[in-house]
Amino acid sequence: MSESKFETVSLLVDNFQQSDEKFDAIIEDEQLSDTWDRYHLIGDVIRGDVSSSLPVDFSTSIAEIIATEPTVLAPMSVNKSISSKQAIKAKIVQLFKPVGQLAIAASAAGLMILGVQHNVAQNESNAVMPSQVVQTIPFAGVADPVSLNFQQPDRQAQKNAYIEQQRRFQALLSDHQRQIKLKSTNDKKLAKNKVENTSK
Amino acid sequence: MIKMYYGLLLTLGFFLSSSCLANTTESISAKTWLEQLTTSLQTLNFSTSFVVVKNNQAEPYHWYHGVDKKGTELEILALLNGPRRDTLRRGNVVSYLEPDTPPYSVSSTQVSGPIPSVFSNDINVLTKSYDFVSVGKSRILGRSAQIIRIVSKDANRYGYWLWLDQESGLLLKTAVITRKGHLLEQIQFTYLEIAKTLATSLQHLIDAELPKVINVPAQAEQIQFSWQVNWLPLGFERIKADRHRINLTKKSVEFMQFSDGLVDVSVYVSPSQSTSRDVEYVKDGATIVLNQVVNGKEVSIVGKIPAVTAKAIADSVSFRGINQP
Repeated sequence: MSESKFETVSLLVDNFQQSDEKFDAIIEDEQLSDTWDRYHLIGDVIRGDVSSSLPVDFSTSIAEIIATEPTVLAPMSVNKSISSKQAIKAKIVQLFKPVGQLAIAASAAGLMILGVQHNVAQNESNAVMPSQVVQTIPFAGVADPVSLNFQQPDRQAQKNAYIEQQRRFQALLSDHQRQIKLKSTNDKKLAKNKVENTSK
Repeated sequence: MIKMYYGLLLTLGFFLSSSCLANTTESISAKTWLEQLTTSLQTLNFSTSFVVVKNNQAEPYHWYHGVDKKGTELEILALLNGPRRDTLRRGNVVSYLEPDTPPYSVSSTQVSGPIPSVFSNDINVLTKSYDFVSVGKSRILGRSAQIIRIVSKDANRYGYWLWLDQESGLLLKTAVITRKGHLLEQIQFTYLEIAKTLATSLQHLIDAELPKVINVPAQAEQIQFSWQVNWLPLGFERIKADRHRINLTKKSVEFMQFSDGLVDVSVYVSPSQSTSRDVEYVKDGATIVLNQVVNGKEVSIVGKIPAVTAKAIADSVSFRGINQP
């Protein structure tokens, strides 16, 4: 049961096409997303892509710096509350400006790292599924749109049934496309026949 | 220039009056445009890039076409994102290089890709099921474009819109649209260059070694199944029937494929472990994959058709009682 979960992650890492739902499921499941991270880290290490210059706790140390400088926001409140005491305001600004800039720069760096990681994750997901099946919609007008498999209360069984269903759809779709490629020769005969028929 | 004004007048005429005369003139002109498209696709040396947009995702492609000195058509269609999927064509050999199967070639003159192959073949096969309508003009890819609609004669199919380059007749954009005007998927060209000489990649193709041509079982008309499809939209004809294994699931299926020239519909039938399962379907852009189990038989329909049509085809499949397992 759990085997298949990891298999899905493995498939995703290997760029096999999967659906958005599966991807979401992995993101939501802590264990799976850890697995996902590990698989990619292993891949990165094997390819030698890991940058040794970036310490793992980089963002933590930045967060600490930010935490120790709570005064960053002070100039704002001073701006609003003090109108007449220009001298004091100027002093405060002068005093806190350098520290504030440092903190902002640090937090911006933190955001950039987070942003880059986020982007990488997004790109991966796109690469994994350039086109394929995305939404499952129960057929309109059917009284009970979910299948028999889905009525079991067990969440795992539900998940498995869902994966099985997606697999079935994926298999059919790719076979359909393959058959179109294979039939091309016959199609020409058909085209000829049709022309003859219409010209008669 | 005069021609342009003439076309504009015609378009105006079409909108203002639905008179029979305007209608026929219009459809002739639309057909001429489509024939021009076919000629251009067969004879011009062009290098293009286009993007297929569906399911909120974009797939970029390169597409090259040219004719060498001997008059052999050369073509390369390459998917640019993800695992490599390249299609090469030299004359009547088309090779598919894909990640999940060993490379193979098919004896054919048409590259199967996101652009319907009928556009580079004979557009006249579509007249049975579709009407051609010239709608107007627009600006696409920085060029002035003629809009042609391929409209289904019945309500069981989607329509195609084409934006054609007024100068060359080549495709600039195409979209699959439901009868209610809802956009399902579209192909937008992002680059178009027409040249007198062959593109370099096509020159390499002239004497490249292509994978071996596989023999497609020639005629499977004789194959008799214990089931048949009793209803299809007008104009669909059976082009294929065989038994094969589906690559991904290794499941053996009985298979029929139908085509109306523009759209291919596959019907799969196989015994199922469960006795019945309600209908389920997914959509990939305009393509539907529909699946249901009735009386222990699994019936699946795949193709660029509306869900209601797919369901009706699936429901029309009937079995001969004797051969039930």
